[in-house]
Amino acid sequence: MSGGVDSAIAASILVEQGYNVEAIFMKNWDEDDKEFCTAVEDYKDALQVCDKLNIPLRSIDLIEEYWEKVFKIFLDECKIGRTPNPDILCNKEIKFKAFLDYAKAFGADQIATGHYSMISNQNGSFQLKRGQDENKDQSYFLCRLNQYQLSKSIFPIGDLDKNFVREKAEKLGFMNHNKKDSTGICFIGERNFKNFLKKFFSIQPGEIIKNNGQVIGEHQGLMYYTYGQRQGLGIGGGYSDYEGPWYVSDKIIEENKLVVVQGKNNSELYHTHLTASNMNWIAGYPPEKNKNITAKIRYRSKDALCKINYRSNDILVEFETPQFAVAPGQSIVFYDQDICLGGGFIENRGNKNIL
Amino acid sequence: MIYFDHSSTTPIHSEVSKRMYEINQDHFANPSSVYESGRKAKSLIEHARFQIAEAVGAKSSQIYFCSGGTEANNQVLWSLINQKNKHIIISAIEHPAISKVLERLKVFGVESTLVPVDKQGVINTSILLDSIRDDTGLISIMLANNEIGSLQPIRKIIKQINKPNVPFHTDAVQSIGKMSVDVYELGIDYMSLSAHKFYGPKGVGALFVKNRDKFSSFIVGGNQENGLRGGTENIAGIVGMGLAAELAVKNQEKCIAKLNLLEKHFLSNIRQSFPLAKHNAKNNLPGLLSISFPGYKSDILMAKLDRLNFAVSNGSACNAGIIKPSKVLKAIGLEDEINLSTLRISFGKDNTIEEVDQFIKTLNDILN
Repeated sequence: MSGGVDSAIAASILVEQGYNVEAIFMKNWDEDDKEFCTAVEDYKDALQVCDKLNIPLRSIDLIEEYWEKVFKIFLDECKIGRTPNPDILCNKEIKFKAFLDYAKAFGADQIATGHYSMISNQNGSFQLKRGQDENKDQSYFLCRLNQYQLSKSIFPIGDLDKNFVREKAEKLGFMNHNKKDSTGICFIGERNFKNFLKKFFSIQPGEIIKNNGQVIGEHQGLMYYTYGQRQGLGIGGGYSDYEGPWYVSDKIIEENKLVVVQGKNNSELYHTHLTASNMNWIAGYPPEKNKNITAKIRYRSKDALCKINYRSNDILVEFETPQFAVAPGQSIVFYDQDICLGGGFIENRGNKNIL
Repeated sequence: MIYFDHSSTTPIHSEVSKRMYEINQDHFANPSSVYESGRKAKSLIEHARFQIAEAVGAKSSQIYFCSGGTEANNQVLWSLINQKNKHIIISAIEHPAISKVLERLKVFGVESTLVPVDKQGVINTSILLDSIRDDTGLISIMLANNEIGSLQPIRKIIKQINKPNVPFHTDAVQSIGKMSVDVYELGIDYMSLSAHKFYGPKGVGALFVKNRDKFSSFIVGGNQENGLRGGTENIAGIVGMGLAAELAVKNQEKCIAKLNLLEKHFLSNIRQSFPLAKHNAKNNLPGLLSISFPGYKSDILMAKLDRLNFAVSNGSACNAGIIKPSKVLKAIGLEDEINLSTLRISFGKDNTIEEVDQFIKTLNDILN
């Protein structure tokens, strides 16, 4: 129970269905005093919901687990110029592991969260499905869950629209019914990503170059930029012949150089192939060949048709159409229509078989 | 609910509650008003002041009402900033209403020395005495600790201080009704009290000030409390506190005997059924037990006990309900893991042996 509207409605639905429900408020981040207020406000919102539902609320401290299992890895990935997705690790290591273990110690049979995704039990095999609300579907973030984790989980709002959830919350008198959706990485919140990272990394300036090697600016450290980024490069458009704004197309880690190109349609920004490592297949095994499989290379990217070639735990993915800003470190998540098959971490990209 | 968290707060004594209701109904007038009902309100407050003074062996003129133990502590500590001698000595196990205030006072030039305690939570007197400097303006040591119940030898310490005129404050909020408290016997200059810890109402407390010269108001406003505390008096609260103090002292012997009985019964049973359980400070305030359960997380124990309607405590939670390792338990040498395996069980005058039996049975089910 985060204090947000989704977990509140998840709990209310379970109460309606006759489950014996207890709420747990999870604290994963040790904020300094200023931001501490958000946790306190969130807790109060959670308390109001639990009071309405007449269920107990307890708090658990997973700050150390989060730091070790999620945040350290996030920093390590940033350091080498990759684009990590801490929310995916958080689900795998914290919400559906440390939290699940805790809930079991508390005596719970199952856990429920306010994720917009669905679980279906096909004769003992658990499938993860996209949420009903296309715009809110969160299956992407759940791509690293396994059968055991799904078997212990319930997503009560996976078949609902966000609007319906908010309306229901209002009807039930939850004060958080119109609370703003949380955006971005949870521990950064609304803060500026670059300013946040500056607390952990020294500035490591290097050259910004065009793909012909020409130096056109200075960057402050590769970790502060992501593939496909347009804003905040500190270089104006129209340096030479006007070809549109500048985009980050590549990072040359060894030389600490940031490569930029002009115009969103620049072919340097698109790739048809990528490799991915550490595949997690939710079913426990890879999908059958010849299936129409689609993939998302970031949360907000559209599903793209692709083919998968397997090399042990690594895979080569070939897209039908070139993909914009393929970012090493990000997760690629595969779908068979509405079923989320699993995901892996993007390693390399190219325009031919690069495995 | 079976309530074993009396060190956190106590239920209001039924007589006190009844008296407060009457006051609220019949005596709403402002005690500063000079007409009859105002004068009556004023005399009710003065009677309560007398009751408190009687309870702790003070004179009425030395008792000042305020909003509670926290305010009383703040008032004493903040007075340091107007003094020449700004050094203060406290124990390592003071309540945050002492230790956190000192963090704030740093910018005003107040320096503090923290005196360690031994494994039983008793202050090291020789270190305390060695810490006294020429510019020491206050020593503040609690009478009984709120988490482990350890008692501090205040009287002995004060007798050994050979530098005269260092004012001595004690936070006595846990003690009233559970041990005899006499300000002259102790030899202290200031003492903080809180009504809701001895079956009185929340939101009212008192400060004993031996000599009010050089002492000034903390909450500044009207001339109430002889100029030491502005703000219209909480008449019902104050009257409730006075009566609660009188009752607490009147019933003290009976209460202590009861608390000791419950405590002994609990300890002998828990030793049998869970020999690993560790009683942290052995010379404790009657009925206040700090018990560690190695191998068990206190928040999980708490959750399971809560589910079965038992109220006990595990350290102090932050505003978001997260339990942090207790600083007091750290100060008596408990590592984080055992620190977070510790429950505080504090019995009250109305608890029964049957309740303790039920509690032990429930704990057994959870632990085994």
